[in-house]
Amino acid sequence: MGKSSKDKRDIYYRRAKEQGWRARSAFKLLQLNEEFQLFKDIKRVVDLCAAPGSWSQVLSRELFENQNHSDAKIVAVDLQPMTPIEGVTTIQADITHPKTLQTILDIFGGEPADFVCSDGAPDVTGLHDLDEYIQAQLILSALQLTTCILKPGGSFVAKIFRGRDIDLLYSQLSYLFERVICAKPRSSRGTSLEAFIVCMGYKPRPGWNPKLELNKSTEEFFEDSNIGKSYNLEHFELPDPEERKIAKFIACGDLQDGDSDATY
Amino acid sequence: FHALKHYGPVTSLKIHENYILAGNGSILKVFKIEKNEKTRVVYSERVLKRNKIHSIVISSEGKVCISGGRSFAMINFADLISNKQFAVIERAINEWIITTEFLNENTLLILNSHNTIYKIDIINNFKLIDKIHCNEKSILYSGSIRKINENKIIIAAGTVMNGCIIWELNSRTMLHNLTDHEGSIFGVKIDNKGQYIISCSDDRSIKLYDFQSGNLLASGWGHGSRIWNLEFFQDTSNGFKIMSAGEDCTMRIWQYLPNQDILQQLQLWEDCHRGKHIWSADIDDINLKLCVSGGADGKIRLHDLSNRGKLNNYTLNYLSQQANISFKKNEIIKSFVELQSLGLLIIITSGGHIILFDQESHQFKSLELSSDESNKFEGFGLMQSFNDINVVAVSSIHGEILILEFTSFNIPPKKTWINNDILGKNKVTNFMAQCIGDTYYLFIDCPNSKIPFILKTFKYNSQGFQLENTLLLEQPQQTSFTTTDMSIDLKNNWLIVASRYVSLAIYDLNSTERLIPLSKLHKKISAGDSITSISIIESSIPQEIILLTIVRDGIYMYIRINETFDINIIHKNNISRGFIEGGYIDNNNELILYGFKSSSFYIWNETKQIELTNVLCGGANRLWKVIKYNEDQHQMIDYKFLFINKSELNIFTFQGRFIKDNYGLINEGTHGREIRDVTISPELLSDNSRLIMTASEDTTLNLSKLLCDGSIKNIWNLNRHVSGLQKIKFFNNKYIGSSAANEEFFIWKIEMINNNPVIREYSRLQPSNDNPDVRIMDFDSIPYYNGLLIATAYSNSDIKVWYFDINNAKFQLICQGTYSTFCILNITMLQIDNHYFIQIGSTDGYLTIYDISQSIGLSSPVRTISQMIIKQKLHQNALKAIYIKPINSYTFKVFTGGDDNALILGELVYNQSNESLQFNILSFIEDAASSTITSISNYDDNTIIVTSVDQIIRKWIHTNNELQCLAATYTTVADTGCCDTTTFNDQSITVIGGAGLSTWK
Ligand SMILES: C[S@@+](CC[C@H](N)C(=O)[O-])C[C@H]1O[C@@H](n2cnc3c(N)ncnc32)[C@H](O)[C@@H]1O
Repeated sequence: MGKSSKDKRDIYYRRAKEQGWRARSAFKLLQLNEEFQLFKDIKRVVDLCAAPGSWSQVLSRELFENQNHSDAKIVAVDLQPMTPIEGVTTIQADITHPKTLQTILDIFGGEPADFVCSDGAPDVTGLHDLDEYIQAQLILSALQLTTCILKPGGSFVAKIFRGRDIDLLYSQLSYLFERVICAKPRSSRGTSLEAFIVCMGYKPRPGWNPKLELNKSTEEFFEDSNIGKSYNLEHFELPDPEERKIAKFIACGDLQDGDSDATY
Repeated sequence: FHALKHYGPVTSLKIHENYILAGNGSILKVFKIEKNEKTRVVYSERVLKRNKIHSIVISSEGKVCISGGRSFAMINFADLISNKQFAVIERAINEWIITTEFLNENTLLILNSHNTIYKIDIINNFKLIDKIHCNEKSILYSGSIRKINENKIIIAAGTVMNGCIIWELNSRTMLHNLTDHEGSIFGVKIDNKGQYIISCSDDRSIKLYDFQSGNLLASGWGHGSRIWNLEFFQDTSNGFKIMSAGEDCTMRIWQYLPNQDILQQLQLWEDCHRGKHIWSADIDDINLKLCVSGGADGKIRLHDLSNRGKLNNYTLNYLSQQANISFKKNEIIKSFVELQSLGLLIIITSGGHIILFDQESHQFKSLELSSDESNKFEGFGLMQSFNDINVVAVSSIHGEILILEFTSFNIPPKKTWINNDILGKNKVTNFMAQCIGDTYYLFIDCPNSKIPFILKTFKYNSQGFQLENTLLLEQPQQTSFTTTDMSIDLKNNWLIVASRYVSLAIYDLNSTERLIPLSKLHKKISAGDSITSISIIESSIPQEIILLTIVRDGIYMYIRINETFDINIIHKNNISRGFIEGGYIDNNNELILYGFKSSSFYIWNETKQIELTNVLCGGANRLWKVIKYNEDQHQMIDYKFLFINKSELNIFTFQGRFIKDNYGLINEGTHGREIRDVTISPELLSDNSRLIMTASEDTTLNLSKLLCDGSIKNIWNLNRHVSGLQKIKFFNNKYIGSSAANEEFFIWKIEMINNNPVIREYSRLQPSNDNPDVRIMDFDSIPYYNGLLIATAYSNSDIKVWYFDINNAKFQLICQGTYSTFCILNITMLQIDNHYFIQIGSTDGYLTIYDISQSIGLSSPVRTISQMIIKQKLHQNALKAIYIKPINSYTFKVFTGGDDNALILGELVYNQSNESLQFNILSFIEDAASSTITSISNYDDNTIIVTSVDQIIRKWIHTNNELQCLAATYTTVADTGCCDTTTFNDQSITVIGGAGLSTWK
């Protein structure tokens, strides 16, 4: 999240400064919420890949100030250290590591969460397939936590880059949620490939008991989940074709909100 | 619909025997390096359906395992080089593969990205034998498997954060977790004896560890950005060495000196590839003695390890002793020349000594001069040579010339003096020579502008070197016309003299006047300080020549001189690598440039974008010479570079092993960063090719030729934009527009010389303020009067329409307006009868049409675009791609594609009776792609090609006003962002750009 002089001209950057958000990303979550009412009836949330913390700020204002839940719980995790936020528990750790997920589960102490979000993005190398893979791993790790902690009916939001295999992910998510939508907030630049999957109405897989084990990789975790992921075939044949699906695309945020592409 | 040719990232390389195996995306290529150092492709097939090949390993009995993404495949090496057809069976695991290794001929080990080893029986139909891990399943960016022997397999795993995990397969135990790096580990390897570990990372350093103890032994610093590759040298007899390569496009060789904690950098090869990233590299320091590198630019290059050139130096002291003369205090070398065929170097010193150096026997000796002769050269002596006849000319300060005709080192040369009565007491500042045909020219320049330039012509015959004529040339009456180079055109008998302040003087030597008048003086023809070299590259046309002109500050130009001695710059480009001191066109019609950058001298192939060699010489020198050796001289030298550094004479001889075979470039490529737009010329050239231009994120443009088989031959790499490109478009076969951030909009002009294009910036739009920050997202044009109407669309929602007068290259603003607050992504102009329309697509998903007929006129003040006649929301979010297909004069089909994955076919109809336009949607496909649609081009009458970021190229038919997908094919070009289609003999060919280029039919 480098702040070049170009960023500074962005209207969302200026507005974030005015409204006291740590990053312009705050508007992405706000615009997603405007469209999908994600904050309705939530009290316990996990904010993954949260630094510098503008999403946590939005959630904290929403839960403690707007909704007046004095018992709300917000856990924020990032590789980077984060300046503390009122009412938010911050953890500095790698979300792809099962130990990190265990720590979060421990903090919730068996209680389910109502909302899990992840705005994670790796440092890109420039090798598109590798970058897409690492991004997919971030999402999968977030999803792994989600299946362990999200209450049935709860929602999950994660940043995606709509590259070549995004339709595989859409398909897998549709096994776990009532609605899966690819949403693009106006505050996210139209010229970037960034978008968000908004998954609503969590429906645990019947017959699958997701259980975090510290020596299992994320892929192994999902092995019995039956969400249409292809696994190793008997003789390592290429699974072809794989289950793919295109999620509905929804642009969100008021057109009046302005265009980040126009101003940087 | 299938791919023809592909240019894109080279993701893996492996040297095996005298072959090089390369993963060029999904394509496996095998190159053979022949004994005569020629290379040829022996295999090239797409072996994986979607994934790129990231790793290649070969077993001792010649089984090849390629892998990448989740895929792997086994191939027999013997089949690869057999010229026979065979099928490759692609297999897969369910996770990203980091690398593989053969445990033995029956068993394959695969390391996945969760630090787990799959042990697979490859004889019995690929059965999983075991899944092995060390209880530490972090995500990996890199890793390697080292087989010390069949019972001792060590895994080196590079994690996303800081650590290298070293573990043993059999015991499943972690040996070390090395955490000295900061950030992700992109390479970690163990040498074949199991003594050392090397790793490289985000933090730009290389670390060397002792395998047993895990102790950090040394770090290597120098790379300017992330390091992607590392490899050990096999031969350790001259010390322990490592090769590295990375994002900064450099390759480096390092040496570890025991007990020193810094790795010493022995070699640095800069600019190995264009743009960014050497993604893959390998080394064979024993057999082939070379390194190979593969870039994001798609190129594969060989780098010779055996001969990096030889540098000899000689102190003045040594010189004087050997030549048996005593030098005065402060005596220095003033000038030198080489007679190549005799192997002789002739040196003149400030003390008036002339010394001969036989480079074969390494003997020096002084040439006998009478004290009278010697005195003439006291403190001054300029030397020139005519190599073909072994003649050396030395000028004294007052322009008397001593001619020396050599036959060998041992036989004293024939001496002749040529007096000078024109200069009087005036002093010579420059002494130049040239041989054209059978005439030899010597040119004398003195700073007094009243004294003419002197041009002496000589002939060489049985009597030896004979003065033929002395011509006097009127000096340009300039106080500062300091000559730097000259060139004589034999066909027209013209003399061109170049000078400082980038000026040219032209003389017609046919003149019969006693003082030949200056025909024309061209002052300050370009920015820069001084022309360093001129040479005639074309004079086939009578009374017209083309001059290669090089300006020290990094500019080179092709200049046409016509019969009235007027000049026209037809090609101009700049390089960004220090000073250019000279250049020439080589036998393959490639442009070679040379000069100084920081503390070295370089020779650069501008056409291929390859540095041929460089030598540390302490920076720009005053006294130096570069000599190109011709092949027929049989001297095993390509170039010789002579220079004086710290008053020592240095002789650098260089012979590259692959110079004659395409400079070691075994696979051609393209831009080194994402390609943002592509455009193909409407004109079919007589060699059945078309010009094609590409515009890249890294601010460069390429002008290339697209051949009918789909291959693309790069011709010029243009560096005049300074910000990231948005669009490029042929207006017609001569003029091209390109737009970029910072309000850059250029018009380029192409001309052809013998079927090869040259190009220059013809005009550029002045930005609207001193600190331009808006991007020109798109533009379009239609012919208008003596030029073009050009509409430009801006990221801040502005629209401007200009009249561009082609003859005087001037822009005139005609009308302007603002759409809203949204970024405009594309703009198209339409002319129907005498009505003009502008159509825009923007980030809010609307298609908007303005009637600008009332706002157009050349004489009136700038008007406002206001008449919005159609505004219709077509896409949920950004309307990214648009193509408008005329059906007849009044009906158009409009195709649009959006960020929302939708593809729309609409119809635009003009009603003549009430002069109105109407837009109707005919067909709407919601899920036309699984990701953003980025471009649309017309394939043939009934079909269009649509690209999207999901890397699927789709062909849609639109007859009956219905859109229907005919074909959907995967492309390995990631970040698929642009396309254009042309035809060859009625066959359509589409070019697709993104992180690479590919051609389709
Ligand atoms: C776009 S920023 C998040 C911005 C945040 N939502 C806000 O509003 O301030 C992406 C973050 O992902 C984090 N990240 C990337 N990989 C991660 C990982 N494996 N574990 C935890 N955080 C990660 C990065 O450190 C970075 O801070």
